[in-house]
Amino acid sequence: MIPFVAVVSLRNQESRTFRLWIPLVLIWFLLLPLGILLSPFIFIACLVCRVNPLRGVAVLWQILNALTDTQLDIEHRTAGVSFHIL
Amino acid sequence: MNEHRRQILQMLSEGKVSADEAERLISAMEEPSTTKSSEIGPKSGGKDRPKYLRVQVDSEDGDRHDGPTKVNVRVPMQLLRAGVKLAYLIPAAALQKANLAMHEKGIPVDLSQIKPDNLEELVEQLSDLVVDVDQKDANTKVKVRVFCE
Repeated sequence: MIPFVAVVSLRNQESRTFRLWIPLVLIWFLLLPLGILLSPFIFIACLVCRVNPLRGVAVLWQILNALTDTQLDIEHRTAGVSFHIL
Repeated sequence: MNEHRRQILQMLSEGKVSADEAERLISAMEEPSTTKSSEIGPKSGGKDRPKYLRVQVDSEDGDRHDGPTKVNVRVPMQLLRAGVKLAYLIPAAALQKANLAMHEKGIPVDLSQIKPDNLEELVEQLSDLVVDVDQKDANTKVKVRVFCE
């Protein structure tokens, strides 16, 4: 399953946490028509580079699926930022 | 196994070996069986496959006492597996160029010989990977830890 939400947490020096929920599903919906429009060009580019376009799409889909549960936390002294893909 | 143990005990009773030697022989005889059972364990599903590759960095500046800097990255192993499949997409011409560049640098590696199966095997073996780096200077203290969980 591709990730639908990403959470960005920001913690400032006063230990106040701002949590931002990013609906990735909207981004996928926006990128989908763009991908469809660009697909002929991508297909030609794959043929020129002698890369199997179906395999390319499969790999990209797998990477997209595997992004779920990726987490990055950075704390610098009293402030911090956290990025979590759900 | 019992036959060997009986032989050792008989040698002990006959006085051919001392009690210490008999003990050592029995323990040496039992060792392979215990290692075998531990080897069988993970394959039979006793040990879970790691799900994440984690990178933790702790850095502390001795001059400043307002807290350390910490970085914590958790990457799903699934993402690594999918990432190595990007190797499928590298055109043959690019591989040749990379090989040439590496040979010029004195690195005799033929990237075209690396098969996707090899890369997947490499990712599988990461489960046993633990890297600990500790660096201590007069003012700074940095600790890097890479492991799978």
